[in-house]
Amino acid sequence: MDDLNVKNQPALKQFVPTPPRPPRKSERGILGTIRHRCFNSIGNSLLTLCVATVLFYLVKHVLDWAVFNAVFIADNRRQCMDISPDGACWAGVISWFNGLIYGRFPVDEQWRVNIGVLLGLVWLLPLMSKRIALRNFILLSWIGLYPFVGAYLFLGGRFGEELGLVHGAMTCLALAFLTIIYANWILSVLGKKGLNELFVPLVSRLVERRIHLLSFVAVWLLVALVIALGLSQVSLEPVPIERWGGLFLTFIIAGFAITMAIPVGVILALGRRSKLPVIHWLSMTVIELVRSVPLITVLFMAVTLLPIFLPADMEFNKLTQVLVAVCLFAGAYMAENIRGGLQAIPKGQYEAAATLGLGYLHTMVLIILPQALRMMIPNIMTSFISLLKDTTLVSIIGLFDIMLMARNIANDKDWVGMHTEPLVMISVLFFILCYSMSQYSLNLEKRLKVDR
Amino acid sequence: MTTSSGNLAQKSVTETAIKIDNLNKWYGDHHVLKDVSLDISEGEIMVVCGPSGSGKSTLIRSLNHLEEYQEGVVSVFGQPLSRDRQSHKIIHQTMGMVFQNFNLFPHLTVLQNCTLGLTWLRKMSERDADKMVMRLLDRVGIAHLATRYPGQLSGGQQQRVAISRSLAMEPKIMLFDEPTSALDPEMVKEVLDVMIDLAKTGMTMVCVTHEMQFARQVADRVVFMADGEIIEVGPPEQVLVNPQWDRTREFLQHVL
Ligand SMILES: Nc1ncnc2c1ncn2[C@@H]1O[C@H](COP(=O)(O)OP(=O)(O)O)[C@@H](O)[C@H]1O
Ligand SMILES: [Mg+2]
Repeated sequence: MDDLNVKNQPALKQFVPTPPRPPRKSERGILGTIRHRCFNSIGNSLLTLCVATVLFYLVKHVLDWAVFNAVFIADNRRQCMDISPDGACWAGVISWFNGLIYGRFPVDEQWRVNIGVLLGLVWLLPLMSKRIALRNFILLSWIGLYPFVGAYLFLGGRFGEELGLVHGAMTCLALAFLTIIYANWILSVLGKKGLNELFVPLVSRLVERRIHLLSFVAVWLLVALVIALGLSQVSLEPVPIERWGGLFLTFIIAGFAITMAIPVGVILALGRRSKLPVIHWLSMTVIELVRSVPLITVLFMAVTLLPIFLPADMEFNKLTQVLVAVCLFAGAYMAENIRGGLQAIPKGQYEAAATLGLGYLHTMVLIILPQALRMMIPNIMTSFISLLKDTTLVSIIGLFDIMLMARNIANDKDWVGMHTEPLVMISVLFFILCYSMSQYSLNLEKRLKVDR
Repeated sequence: MTTSSGNLAQKSVTETAIKIDNLNKWYGDHHVLKDVSLDISEGEIMVVCGPSGSGKSTLIRSLNHLEEYQEGVVSVFGQPLSRDRQSHKIIHQTMGMVFQNFNLFPHLTVLQNCTLGLTWLRKMSERDADKMVMRLLDRVGIAHLATRYPGQLSGGQQQRVAISRSLAMEPKIMLFDEPTSALDPEMVKEVLDVMIDLAKTGMTMVCVTHEMQFARQVADRVVFMADGEIIEVGPPEQVLVNPQWDRTREFLQHVL
């Protein structure tokens, strides 16, 4: 019966997939592409010619002014004018270059600024390496520990005296942490165990639980102690905050704002979504208040109002006040970015976390925030870029950041009235900084596959 | 006949795992659960079916407090649940849940999705957690995908990860809310096979599903719901073959 059935049916045809074929490649060269794109009709050809002419004249004029007719060596503006009346006078910018970068930081101590900034970058370098475990901790340590090292280097003074013992201890802990990170990096390249595992055999004899943590703490303290002994021998020339300035100060303020924006923003955003009315309204007030006034107002408020609210014996310098203001400003804007990201997370994620038994903090830190922040990388980066530019406003309340230094050049008796060149130079500098940031953000997005 | 409802009979222990007592729930004025009462024994496989909007999801989500309800009591292993910490602890220690649209964490790998609860809540060491999860993933046939991200998997594979993620927390009761409804037809079987295997281990399971073949094969009892009420409860051959109510028959004609 079965046999019959099979015989009566026509044999099934076997399906063989068609072999894949590569797409046709364009055979036009560069010239061909240009002709195809720009000269494909009479109208387009005319347009192309017009645009090319305008572009040519623009570029020529800019280059003439900035390079070919420019003066690079001169003693003062008058000499510049005499040598070449319609070219840029870079000599002024060059003679003030040090001030633009370091403000009025004593020349002999400027190496400390270089080392400080370099250390900050070196601290973040391991983030690029996939070999290092717990990379989040590096970021956290940068936020929590690096400022102590920076402040120690920039402010100077005898170790543990001017800045206090606590600060000294934190500086040593910070440097010790950095040492361990790098030692571990090198050791892991060599295929060895990390430095923090050094005391594991010893510790495991004393206690049963948390062996690795305790061993890490022991190594950390030991390295910190060695560093403390070393540091107590050196004494740095104290540099008051009033002498900080230039690009260096801009970096400090913008760096602080950028670093604090996310933590403050996360707290405000979560506060705004909180079900507790007090927290909700408090966060909402801060966000809306700060967002609805210009940064200048926030800065002025910080400088004039903050001292009124705080106890009289607490005296803050202008920089601290500005840092608080900028931090609030950045946080309030970031809070709205993050809230947007939080809203885009589907309810299912919360439910899945809840059924696993994760509490509020775990759910937020492990599940929701990583997704929300990733989703908002383009917006967050845009905020960072505007923050970098906005911080130049602090010159208005008299901090000698790069902007005020640049405008000061025009007041120098040798370079009276020279406004254009310093501003052009700052524009170029900011363009480079902001453009690299936006490129980095694109790169980060690609790496984290936001648009998956 | 391949259908067997003998599962329960073979089990010696018949302690009540979940006792639902006169559950009532409203969305505003909309009465979505009406005096629902049901006992589910330990090791029982309970299939819940019914037309869309009949309150199946609401019922199953009330069991682990994803939904609030206004009246009634749910007890788990004899412990009546309320909204306090103790109840939450009982829920998380005893119940796992699998959702219609998987709800995997897209920023974590398959392995990380499953070990998350173990390392952060159970404080298990990473190595032990990995080992345990790899065993689970192997059981559902996706151990080779452990380092992938959910976005790189097919629906069937994702749902199997979701099941492993719940199982990693070693629940006594598993809740399934239409686990195969979002899947392409050819992937339904791989998920059902995992569920059938799970049923054989003696897990207590409450499954909202329209897979009647699955119900016939493994269910101890089938619940039919309509308009927020339980209309029929009984062994599959009774409810699915000889329904007592017109609504049930009408529904079965549509899905079979
Ligand atoms: N969040 C909600 N708000 C208002 N009504 C809802 C909500 N969720 C579900 N419902 C209503 O509750 C009823 C039961 O829904 P549900 O339990 O999802 O049904 P099922 O899962 O059986 O399809 C439906 O009538 C639905 O419209
Ligand atoms: Mg449903």
